[in-house]
Amino acid sequence: MNHLDPRRLRALACVAAFLVGVFWLIPVLIAVTGLWNFYFTLTSVALLSVASAGVWLTFYIGRINIGQGAFALIGAYVSAILVTKAGVSFWVSLPLAGLFASLVAIVIGLPILRLRGVYFAMITLVLTEVVRLAALALPITNGAKGIVSIPLPGELSVLGITLIPDFSTIQNTKLAFYHAACVLMVLCYASLYRIVNSRLGHLCRSMQQNEELAESVGVNVAYLRVIVFAISSFFGGLGGAMFGAIAQSVYPSSFVVKDSIDFMLNCFLGGLGYVFGPMLGTLVLYFGWDLLFELGQYQLLVFSGILILLILVLPNGLLSIRIDMIRKLWR
Amino acid sequence: MRRRNMLTAMTAALALSAIQGTTALADNPVLKIGFVGVTSGPAAAWGISNQRSMETRAEWINETGGYTIGDVTYDIEIVSFDDQKDPKRAIAGMEKMAQEGIHYVVGPNVDDGAAAVRPVAEATGIIYFPYAFPKPLYTAPASNAVLGMVANYQSGPAIYRYLMEERGVKTVAFIAANESDPLSQRDSGREAAEALGLEVVSANVTYQVDTTDFTPVLTPVIRTNPDLLVLSGVTPANAPQLLRSARELGFQGIISTETAQDAQVLREGAGDLANGFISVGGASTPEIASDMMNEFVARYTDMFGEYNDESNTKVYALEYILATLAANPAAIDDVEAFKQTIDTFEAPNPYMKGDAVMRYVGVSSFGQRRQIAVPLVVNVYQDGEFETLFVAEVD
Amino acid sequence: MEQVMANGVYLGSQYAMIALGLTLIFALMNVLNFAHGQMYVIGGFVTYTFYGQFGLPFVLALLMSCVTLAILGALIEKFLFGPVIRRSSREESTMLLAAGLAFLLDAMILLVFGEKQRGVPKIVDGVLNWDFRIIMPYDRILICFLAMVSIAAFIAFMQFSKTGRALRALAQDRDAAQLMGVNVNRYSMIGFALGAMLAGLVGGLLVTITGVNLGMGGPTSIKAFMMVMIGGAGVISGAILGGFILGMLEAVGLAVLSQYGDITYLVIFVALMIFLAIRPQGLMGKPWG
Repeated sequence: MNHLDPRRLRALACVAAFLVGVFWLIPVLIAVTGLWNFYFTLTSVALLSVASAGVWLTFYIGRINIGQGAFALIGAYVSAILVTKAGVSFWVSLPLAGLFASLVAIVIGLPILRLRGVYFAMITLVLTEVVRLAALALPITNGAKGIVSIPLPGELSVLGITLIPDFSTIQNTKLAFYHAACVLMVLCYASLYRIVNSRLGHLCRSMQQNEELAESVGVNVAYLRVIVFAISSFFGGLGGAMFGAIAQSVYPSSFVVKDSIDFMLNCFLGGLGYVFGPMLGTLVLYFGWDLLFELGQYQLLVFSGILILLILVLPNGLLSIRIDMIRKLWR
Repeated sequence: MRRRNMLTAMTAALALSAIQGTTALADNPVLKIGFVGVTSGPAAAWGISNQRSMETRAEWINETGGYTIGDVTYDIEIVSFDDQKDPKRAIAGMEKMAQEGIHYVVGPNVDDGAAAVRPVAEATGIIYFPYAFPKPLYTAPASNAVLGMVANYQSGPAIYRYLMEERGVKTVAFIAANESDPLSQRDSGREAAEALGLEVVSANVTYQVDTTDFTPVLTPVIRTNPDLLVLSGVTPANAPQLLRSARELGFQGIISTETAQDAQVLREGAGDLANGFISVGGASTPEIASDMMNEFVARYTDMFGEYNDESNTKVYALEYILATLAANPAAIDDVEAFKQTIDTFEAPNPYMKGDAVMRYVGVSSFGQRRQIAVPLVVNVYQDGEFETLFVAEVD
Repeated sequence: MEQVMANGVYLGSQYAMIALGLTLIFALMNVLNFAHGQMYVIGGFVTYTFYGQFGLPFVLALLMSCVTLAILGALIEKFLFGPVIRRSSREESTMLLAAGLAFLLDAMILLVFGEKQRGVPKIVDGVLNWDFRIIMPYDRILICFLAMVSIAAFIAFMQFSKTGRALRALAQDRDAAQLMGVNVNRYSMIGFALGAMLAGLVGGLLVTITGVNLGMGGPTSIKAFMMVMIGGAGVISGAILGGFILGMLEAVGLAVLSQYGDITYLVIFVALMIFLAIRPQGLMGKPWG
């Protein structure tokens, strides 16, 4: 492919604008307006969109995943246990949380990924409840009492050079968490984009169309499914672990069925056909709720009303608006 | 204030500008008090009874000219945030309160939310009054949370001791929903019962909160034939069903809980089968309610159509905040000053007959004063109403 | 043991009715209706209002629940699900709509009926006590009986009426039904109304025993999904079977595992997952729903 392809250039410009927006413009805007509380809201959006990205990836192989809350909870617990009981640095526990979630996904995925449609959706939904109940029953998770008073992430240094300072010494931990979450989000979506535009992504699309056909032309469908599910759950584990660090506590109810459903809705709302759909969907769903805060008891009514209107107008997701508009312009 | 403008514009666009929060009546400066809790979804009743008691009281204060702190008279505005029982939302709610310049917040209603907001509250200088019992929230080094009610590990032993002495109870069984709050309460209740020398005959049975039929859940518990059945951390929604099933299965013993209940809900849900049910309440039973309590109930009923007995315990947090601020006006934007006042604060309790006082307690449970002294009123349900069984104090 | 069986049958009959409406809507339109539980709750509140508040006869209140929900269901299909299904490129997009609808109904229930748990006076007093082997209050037996009658009536309706046959044709093959002259839009609406009505009916029946509160919606939907999955998605007989199996599973599980306490439901759910993994189409379902 030609590197000076104008479409590619435009995409690069978009990415650059996005990065500048996230890492420079938003902090400046927040500093100017003094709306400090938006840091946490945006941090949440970033982390939830990381988990949603995983759900989107399972959609990409034609599976409706309502189990991401389970993996987020697993991630949160793994990180919390490693930090509080084994004294591991949070920054080491973060990838380990993701990896452990992947491991669980592989073990569970092998049998259940044979299911499709609503059957897969249901079994993942039950999985969320199973993980919550397991967290209540297992001794290592401290059961109903949860894990509380988790220390803030410590310093991360390589060869004596401090890469990330100790969060407890930072004045503005909100900004620190915001940056950390955004870096995580950018890395996650970059890798998601890479996966979709790789051979793996191509195979996934063929599986989404017709698994039997893909299998017949020599694609190892079972292997691919598990790999994709593991990556998906890795994202879930990361998001959950980071949340645990912000709340400095993890409870069995930190991620529940409702969260699993929300992750799925984020993908639908943003648009299943677009890599950045889940990010936009999360922003609208999560931020929308916060913006309607002043409506008091009518908050949920207005929120759901707007949501339904959006679906009626754009049933294929928010990002589909672009294609519709382009089509109209052509005519 | 820019956000508010933007929001107002949005609201107008939605043709909903008519719906806005209470606006100040007079020209008094406004003192904002926050509420972060659950006001939608399955547990909505907890948060709504909280929010409504605060709004009732605030409106009452504003109507009668405001609340004087130091030499300024304030109108009170309640800013509430629905956290949907989600700890992540609760953090966002606490951030929102900090953004609004609020230093005193009532809520959250559940364990996980209360634990999750702690870092924000401590970083942004907010004192919050959770309705959650875990001790680490109130024990040093934690210092910004003040328990807003009587914990079950305080009321439980009092009830058990009373029943042992007065009714000769010897064996006890516990049943709880398999969620954090009820399970923790069951465990501490069990410890308390064992410490008192009661024999715990069953404490393993749990139920899902969405259970629609409690007969299979209760059958094995009833088989153990306890003198006392404790419904640990039972929600007002589940209580009548549990009572009904237990009685229909032929259970003859005493049933009690350490959470607040609503008489109307019990009457509708279980009718006469709820007679004798022991729960923890506030101060609205006729024996102890002051005129002020009665007026509060009347105003609440006026504003929202129907009173909720759970509010008896929930009227106090706002009263404590305001009274403590009046005692030390410097605390209005300085929570450290508030914490110092906590140790010495004392004022008459306006909601109870007699000479009860409002003060901060909790030394024996938490090692520091991080609990408001709500009278421990133990009620028994009889024919549609609560009667006071006994009143005790927490230290 | 008799007690456990009786508990199971009672639970099963109410579960089966909840699952029926859900599976009907799924069979007709491939919509996983997240708002099913909310419809059930509305049914309960309507009966509460008419029977508990206004003092109308119970049967009349029950009828009001059915009518209200049928109208609501028809409107929802006509103005929400119908258009979205026609215009979306992927069928699953309706899940977002269903979830949005669940939020909307939750919000409306809170505003209209309030946050408190509600209950109505018992319709029949007394408890059947057969030698302490089976203890079952009469109102439960009555509700259980009514539920079974409703299920039988529904099956008869689907088998023998013209509408029922058209609905079955639609569920089997939408395109073929259309070719054979079935008015697909009209019958989709009727089917959805019927599904919603069943939810309202069971809500109205159960309000006499369990009462109703706004939080019951979501968990009820999820439980109904499980029953539908056990039996096989979109199969009427499967939903009934699934309901009874889950009811039995809970009754037996709670009796056998009660001393292990906290893990009872964990075991039930894990068993469910293993079952679905082994037999993905449920007991009676078509593979890949």
